Parts: sequence; structure tokens; C-alpha cells
Amino acid sequence: MREFSDQPQQPRRTALRVRGLSKWFGTEQVLDDISFSIDEGESLAILGHSGSGKTTTLRIIAGLEAPDTGEIMLGGRRIEHLPARERNIGVIFQNYALFPRMTVTENICFGLRIRGVGRDERQRVAAGMLALTGLSDQCDKYPAQLSGGQQQRVAIARALAYQPALLLFDESFSALDPQTRGGLRREIRALLRQLRVPALFITHDQEEAMELGDQIAILSHGRIEQIGPPAEVYHHPRTEFVATFLGAANILAGVMVDGQIFIAGQEPPVTSTGSRIGAGERVRLLFRPEDGVVTDPTEQVEVLLSLGEGVISEVGFAGAIEWLTIELGGRRQGAPPAATIRISRTRWEADRARLSAGQTVAVGLRRHQLLE
Amino acid sequence: MMRRVPEQNQGVRRRDPAGVVGMGFIILAMVPLVILPLASVFIFGFSKGPVHFMSALTEPAALHALQLSLTTSVAATLCNVTFGILAAWFLSRYQLPGGETGGSALRSGLMILISLPTAIPTAVAGFALLLLWGRSGLLGRFIEQTDYQIMFTTAAIVLANIFVTFPLAFGVIKPALDNLDTNYEAAAETMGATRWQTFRYVVLPSLRGAILTGALLTFARSIGEFGSTIMVSGNLAMRTQTAPLYIFAKFNEGDIEGANAIAAVLAVISFAIFSLIMVTRGRWGRLS
Repeated sequence: MREFSDQPQQPRRTALRVRGLSKWFGTEQVLDDISFSIDEGESLAILGHSGSGKTTTLRIIAGLEAPDTGEIMLGGRRIEHLPARERNIGVIFQNYALFPRMTVTENICFGLRIRGVGRDERQRVAAGMLALTGLSDQCDKYPAQLSGGQQQRVAIARALAYQPALLLFDESFSALDPQTRGGLRREIRALLRQLRVPALFITHDQEEAMELGDQIAILSHGRIEQIGPPAEVYHHPRTEFVATFLGAANILAGVMVDGQIFIAGQEPPVTSTGSRIGAGERVRLLFRPEDGVVTDPTEQVEVLLSLGEGVISEVGFAGAIEWLTIELGGRRQGAPPAATIRISRTRWEADRARLSAGQTVAVGLRRHQLLE
Repeated sequence: MMRRVPEQNQGVRRRDPAGVVGMGFIILAMVPLVILPLASVFIFGFSKGPVHFMSALTEPAALHALQLSLTTSVAATLCNVTFGILAAWFLSRYQLPGGETGGSALRSGLMILISLPTAIPTAVAGFALLLLWGRSGLLGRFIEQTDYQIMFTTAAIVLANIFVTFPLAFGVIKPALDNLDTNYEAAAETMGATRWQTFRYVVLPSLRGAILTGALLTFARSIGEFGSTIMVSGNLAMRTQTAPLYIFAKFNEGDIEGANAIAAVLAVISFAIFSLIMVTRGRWGRLS
């Protein structure tokens, strides 16, 4: 795992550092030695299925739940023993939890009112927050009168108003319809960049995690499987779980001998260079559908790795892309296919060289990953 | 969280002669059982003209009885609403000692105990208060040695009212609090609010409707209380005679007009409170 905070060549300061967090509910361990950090002005998205422990992680950082072990540092200060109200963290709840009996402005001013900030100053901050989130014309409405997207903006404005040291987003986009979600996500990303507030997003949506997180952490059964920048985690997943969670992936099982991967029923073996995996070891070859290259068998195409030949069993239309289902190694009469893979082509590629079911093609990979 | 009361199931309401017959039956059954008895209070009350009605109403003992009923009911309502809010808050939001099973058993036990007073016949409640606070009662015998007295005073009426209406406010506020998303409190806490500030600014405003309904229910029940009051008040005209006791006393004296005037006023008050409850329920039910 990459440590991105303590190394001297990185001038960025750590905003949040979580170390060795564990939590049991009764006899069930929901968090197991969770460690990560968020740099000043950066964001981390914790991605996991329901029950992976991601919401518990958020609640522990917010102070709404106590950890059994571990420490939390926020701005250089240990906070795990502090009550929620003394942590100065802003939380955007899944359903926003806007106070129903308060107007938009009153909601935004609440944190300042609690801190004893005077009325004029509160109004000034609220006006700024309303302008920042594009809500100025909604200021006297009640939460029930707003759309989901507007409610989320109020929740963000309300959290930002008292200048928190960290923002936590608890599945904050899942209740919105897809159109609103995408637009709002980009807006919030821009807003966080502008204000340089560190943020932690909790989500089960991989697209959301990759769009919102400077780093993403994949959480499974209370453990972090992998943490890193979205592109790194996407292209170099360290486990099968990470690979399949972040997007579609083909996985071929084989055995490594002399730098060659023998995949059952597949001839000739696949040559892989630069692998650290020893001879005779089991190996899994992993690649994403968009990293496959399909050509005519007679054509010579520069690819990093050749998978040999295969027969197209299905061609599927999916708008911007085309799906090809290919039976690898099944060309010789009577031989069972070694594996079925799925490859996607862009619409442009598909129109340039049309393919149909039953055709034999050569399959190569632009990019792949080997897992032990 | 936004939750809207679903539209009435108007789509499936049938247009059918059976409906008309059914409605007719409901109204027909209600005429002798409910509507006529109520109507006769007003018919008899005004049968000798409004002047007679007003003079019966403005008789000093009548006015005193009404005033006593109002003040003792307000006192009991304030007491029970305060208790109801606190009890609902602790029972809904705090873990009780005894672990998972012990805590929930304790919770059920407390819930039953709080709700018990309405199940007890009011005469029994009044008698019980006498046995506790009366001259030779469990606690009354100590008070007997001082110059103070509780039974047969205004305090006794308030105590009786508190007892018989004890769980009414709690019964409305507790479910409202149970339904209130705890994330509001979590949000307030993360924003820096203390428990008291969270309660004061976030929880209490959200319970406004339930508190008002609970208060009205308690008040309505208090102002009409008879059984326990007659046991503990002493029924002294101009001193400890509440409006319902006044009605009973006047009727026994054969003063039908006197009884009737106060009965009409009590009926109107109850009707007004009831309408308020329906209106507040409708209004607050639609929000959150």
C-alpha cells in the first residue's frame, strides 16, 4: 500500500488520519484494522457494499459511534474521545436530515447560532452560503418544499457554514434521480476544490467513487481491500473483489511456467513479461472489456499480450459501445472452449470493422493485470 | 426525511346504492344514541329563552365551578404534558440498564405502569387518593400533624385530574418521538449542539403537533372528570365544586335549568377542543 502523507517528498499536510480502527457489534466484527488518511484539500471515497462497514466508519469519525480500538487525528489533534459536537466536522446525511421546522436560512445558520455567532454575522454567512450553492431564491422555504437536489445543497451549505475541518458525505447521492445526481456530483467536486475542504464520501456506487474521490478505498467485510487513486485501483486491482467491484472484468485462471501462462484448454500459452510471479504458481489473468483488441486472424496488430484465437458467439448493441462475447480456443472442431470472455468496442470501432456471430477472430490485450 | 401522508384511497371508493343505505344506517343509529342526547342539552337549556339561560350561567356558584374546572384542568395538563415529554424522551432515546433483554423488559414494564391509570375506574382512583392523602392515609397521617390539608381542597382535584389523565399526553408524544428520525439529532450534534440545545431547537419543535394534541386530550378529559373528583373534593359549593359536580348537584336539587346551562357550556368547550384536535392532527400530520 502507498503511504501518501508521511513521506518528505510530499509537501501536502494530512487533514485526517485514521489508524487501526476496529469495531464490534456484539460478537460480530464490523471493522477490522481500518487505516487511511486524507490530505488537506483532498477527498477520499470509501466504496463498499451494504454491510461492508462503510457507514460505521463514517459514524465513528463523526463521533456518533465509538470505536473499540484505533485512533483518529483531525488537523493534528486526537479526536476519537471527543463528543461529536466538539469535533467540528460537517456531515451530509443520506436523507440530508434538514430540520423540517426551520427555513433554509435557519437550517444554514443553526451551527453558527449554536456557536453564539451574532445575528448580523449569521445572516452574512448564510447569504454567502446561499449564493455559493445557488439557493439564494429558496432561502425562506422549508425543506419539504425543496427538490432532492436542492435539499442536498442546503445540507452542504449548512455543513459548510461553520467552517468544518472535514466534510463527511453518507451515501448523499443515492436518493437522487440519475440526471440530478451526475450534475450535482460535478458541482460538489468543483465546490470542494474551490474551498479546499477535505472530504470523505461513503458510497456503494463505483462510478460515484471514481468521480468524487482523489483516492478511493474499497471496503469489504470491514477491511480495506485496496486504497489508491481511482485510475490506479481501476487498472491495477490487487484482488478479484476490487477488480469486479469497480467495473466489468474478465478473469482467466492459469498456471505460470517460464514466463508463460498456461490457461486450461488454451493453446498456445500466453506469454507475459515482467511478472514477478514464480514458476508453477497459479495465476489469474485479469483484463477489462475495453482493453481487449479484436482483429482478423491474418492481420498483424501490435498488442501487449495475445490471447490467440476465438469465435464470436454473440454481438450485443449497447448504445455507445458494442459487446462481443467470445469463446476462446474453441476453433478446432470438437474442442471445448477454454473460456468465455466479454470485450467491448467503441461505436466507432464497431462501425469501422463490422463483426458477426460465428466469425473467428484474434484476441489481444492492450492492458492486463496478473493476480496470484 | 420527508414523508407525505398518502392520498385517501379515493380511487377504490365505490359508487353503489349500498353505500347510500349504509350511510343512512350509520346516521339513523347515531340519532338516538349520540345526536339526540347532545341536542336535548341545548334544546332544554334554551327552552325558557336566552335570558333564563344567562342568569343560570352567571350564578356565582356556577361561575366558580367553571373557573375551578378550568384552572385545575390547566394545572393537570401542564403537569402531565411536562411528564409526558420527559418520559417519552428517555424511553425513546436512552438505553435502559439491564442489557438487551433486561432493558427492553424494563421499558415494557415502565410503559405499562405509565399507561395503567386510564385503565383504573375513576372512582377507584379517587378512593386510592383518599387512602394515601386522607386523614389516616399512608402519607396523610403525617400531613395531619401540620396545618396543611390536601384532601377536600383544590390540590386534591388537581391530583385526581393528574391521576386519571396521566398517560394521555405521553401516549401521543411517545409515538411521535419514536417516528422522529434520529438523524435530526445526530445532525444537530455534529453541528455542535449540546443535548439540551438539540432537544430545545430540533426535537421540541418537531413534537409541537403531538404536544398540542396531547395537551388538548388531557385538558378535555380533565375538565369533564367526575368519578375521582367527587371522592376527593368534598363537593363544597363555591370552594371545591367543579363544573361536572355542579351539574350533578343542581340536578339533585331539581334545578334543571342550572344544571343545563353548565352542561351546555361544558359540551361546547369539549366540542371546541375536539375540533382543535382534529385540525391540529390534520395540519401537523401532513408535515414531516
